Amino acid sequence: MSWSNIRWTLAREIRDQLRDRRTMFMIVVLPILLYPLLGMAILQVSQLAEEAPVRVLLVGREHVPEEPPLVEGHRFVAGLFNPPEQARLVELEFAPEHASAAVPPADPLSQAGLAVQYGQYDAALCFPSDFRQRLDQFRQALCQGASGPEVPRPVFIYTTATEKSQRAFARLLDVWQRWNDRFRRANLAAMRLPESMFAPIEPETIDVAEATGHSGAAIWSKVLPVLLLMWALTGAFYPAVDLCAGEKERGTLETLLSSPAERSEIVLGKLLTIMLFSSLTAVLNVLSMGTLGWVVLSRLPGFGPVPLAGAVWMAIALVPASALFSALCLGIAAFARSTKEGQYYLMPLLLGTIPLAVLPTVSGMELNLGNSLVPVMGMVLVLRAALEGNYAEALQFLPPVAAVTLAGCLLAVRWAVAQFNCESVLFREGERLDVRLWLRHLVRDRRATPTAAAAASCGIVILLARFVAGVAMPSPGDFPAFAVTVLATQLAVIAGPAVLMAFLLTRSPRQTLLLRWPPWLAPIAAAVLAVALHPAVKVLQAGVFRLYPLNEVIEKQMRDLDALFSPAPFWAVAAILALTPAICEELAFRGFILSGFRQGGATWRAIVISAAFFGLTHSILQQSLVAAVVGVVIGYLAVRTESIVPAMVFHFVHNALAATAVPVSRYVTDRWPALEWLLQPGAEDGQVFRWPAVLAGGLAAVAILAWFHRLPRGGEKSAPVNAPAASETAR
Amino acid sequence: MIHVRGLTKHFADLQRGSLVALDGISFAAAPGQIYGLLGPNGAGKTTALRILSTLLRPTAGSVTVNGFDVTTQSSQVRRQIGFMSANTAVYDRMTAWEMIEYFARLHGLAGEALRQRMEEVFARLRMNDIRDLLGAKMSTGMKQKVSVARAIVHDPPVVILDEATAGLDVLVARALLQTVAELREQGKCVVFSTHIMREVEKLCDRVAIIHRGHMLAEGTLAELRERYQENDLEELFFQLISRHEGTRSGQAA
Repeated sequence: MSWSNIRWTLAREIRDQLRDRRTMFMIVVLPILLYPLLGMAILQVSQLAEEAPVRVLLVGREHVPEEPPLVEGHRFVAGLFNPPEQARLVELEFAPEHASAAVPPADPLSQAGLAVQYGQYDAALCFPSDFRQRLDQFRQALCQGASGPEVPRPVFIYTTATEKSQRAFARLLDVWQRWNDRFRRANLAAMRLPESMFAPIEPETIDVAEATGHSGAAIWSKVLPVLLLMWALTGAFYPAVDLCAGEKERGTLETLLSSPAERSEIVLGKLLTIMLFSSLTAVLNVLSMGTLGWVVLSRLPGFGPVPLAGAVWMAIALVPASALFSALCLGIAAFARSTKEGQYYLMPLLLGTIPLAVLPTVSGMELNLGNSLVPVMGMVLVLRAALEGNYAEALQFLPPVAAVTLAGCLLAVRWAVAQFNCESVLFREGERLDVRLWLRHLVRDRRATPTAAAAASCGIVILLARFVAGVAMPSPGDFPAFAVTVLATQLAVIAGPAVLMAFLLTRSPRQTLLLRWPPWLAPIAAAVLAVALHPAVKVLQAGVFRLYPLNEVIEKQMRDLDALFSPAPFWAVAAILALTPAICEELAFRGFILSGFRQGGATWRAIVISAAFFGLTHSILQQSLVAAVVGVVIGYLAVRTESIVPAMVFHFVHNALAATAVPVSRYVTDRWPALEWLLQPGAEDGQVFRWPAVLAGGLAAVAILAWFHRLPRGGEKSAPVNAPAASETAR
Repeated sequence: MIHVRGLTKHFADLQRGSLVALDGISFAAAPGQIYGLLGPNGAGKTTALRILSTLLRPTAGSVTVNGFDVTTQSSQVRRQIGFMSANTAVYDRMTAWEMIEYFARLHGLAGEALRQRMEEVFARLRMNDIRDLLGAKMSTGMKQKVSVARAIVHDPPVVILDEATAGLDVLVARALLQTVAELREQGKCVVFSTHIMREVEKLCDRVAIIHRGHMLAEGTLAELRERYQENDLEELFFQLISRHEGTRSGQAA
């Protein structure tokens, strides 16, 4: 790789971007103008919103006591508002009094309800006809030292369907609180008791942030990380589209590709340019917002200046963040034919990132190891901690966040380089959208095994169908219902699509689904491997649960599920929980999906991707993570033996053990107490296996995997699965 | 200088399945020679030249350029060639000088040697008046000059021109053809694809007639005229193509 080529490409791209008015507008002009203008606009709009009065219907004015006063003219008494000028924000209208006893009044409550419902009023306040009378009785009883009758209650009517009605309700509540306060004071006076009796005890408050210079930093710690990351992404977005899709559109990409610069050098030159503009956008936006905040907001209570050390943290975090976003944008933009197409493709990236960035802020998520391992989210949490002044906490979780971001960045760069090396991407021509033609092409041009795209589609179909089935199917009440649910899901949602697609989209469903006999010892070895690996899997599971603890709802669901199995015979549980998934899931994940991803020739990548799909089909995140790791082992068995049988055997034994580990180990230790140094069935955390068992099992598993590794590759005997791939990549 | 043996290229095509763009074509071109690829639109000329300039990888066959293999030594191949086609545009937001300088630097030129070479190329192609003009403001003829300058700034032994005169007016096209003839004088090996008979007659030392990815005939113009007993190149071209179409429909029946 020639650094001088990267340097020249970088210099050229920077100059190119600096001469592009659109980019400069987005990156420099917008942030400098945006925040002052936005601040002004918000101030204006909020004034408008605050000044709008609400209309309230008061029913039964004549039943309101005169002391303390509530109503004055067509408003509540000004003293019931803070500040009193706000009294004009509630406009009162009174329901007519029913003087004539000859005409019985319609139910005033339901009438008021209808009036609010149809938007005639924003809220209504109704006093019952005996309100004043009962209140007087209550006060008299109080003065005589007796317990009075129940305090009468007025009725507030409002609707949560409109924001204005909710505002009216809030104002009414406020007024009512203050009136109540006055009423109690009046009671104390009537009872000749001092008012101080009623004085609340006000606590003294100390804000320790003042000592560390983080006073009022909470608001910044919520806003700035999100702002920084979102602008880093937006700043990467526009240059990426211009540098890749734009070059294709303008016809200069072919010029560049025919120069001696390597594709990787071109990609790195472009990546560094995008990173630079992404960082610049983020810095300018945060600076502009920070300055505005400093000047305007810091005068308000609760707002402090941005802590300086936090700003340094943000500057450091910006480098990996912009690298990650730039590489992702570059890869996506390289795929697009035109800038317009590029913008369509980048939208999903933006939509995917927003929740990851915003969720930690709105949900009050804690910074822990599990959360720090989620891309983007971890970085927001670490930055939040740093801005709040918790440097020790931020430093503690910096390594995992940095590792995840760096790994994501490397993968994204590799993907972008791969895009630039793929001629079908670089010289992609506009195909017309014709579903019939495309379906015909799928069936006509099918190969022995599916394409990677078919495998990905199958995975996505299974995931979506699984989700829909999970939501639509009623939760089973007993074991037979549970068995039917599992059977239906496994057959129709998991195995069904894979087998159907294997018959429709491939010439050899048998080769695709790996339906051949392995060496006779392989299934036995797979069963022993599942047993040997089981303690290690349990340890992994415990680790995952510690990292991402189950919430109470899911824990209860799992307990309910366990309760369903207990009355069922063992063979039935094994058939439903072990045999059915072993057959159906293996056909889908190690059959169709693994074969499809092996088309590119990259076996390990195929194993990992198929395992990831396998993991995702498990509805609980913690199960997904463990299943994905187990899926890698099963995928390896399938690849080494070119047969689905060992994979199914492993899966069956693994699931059966998971369902029976506790009772079986209890049986074993009861029978042979000497084995207690290996097993502890009564352990509180569900860890049945002691460390010697885990280690011994692990060593045995390594030995068995080594045996699988030495097996002659099953595919070498028959047609190798990735044979057509070789000719395909040569094209 | 250029050796092409059994060059084959397939593309995936939604409508027709696998599309054979080139079906085993072979030819060789020597230094100081202009080699013409003559064929109608869609014959496979652009695909062949993109493979020669390492933009595409061949499905089968071998191609060497100045001794380097296009598949295994692609970056060395790109150092030997100057490639220009209707699809190699100039940068809108760069001046002529900046653009040529950028490509010269990617080819490893630097310092005084770079400046001297650029002055020489700008003088030879009479481009000094557009030195500081942005690509976006150039006329088609100016852009074409910049593209030629970009393709030859590193003084490559091989120049590949794919339909280089497409869309040019008579004056600019004529000037370009003259530049190509000069390149031959300098001992360059020029591969030149076109569908215009006049250009072939005027320039090419050897010519290959390509149609639907097949090579129908190859040789010097004199050899072709003698072999097919036809003096008019246009007639000869039509005969070959009709004969090939006839055999194809015969095979299909």
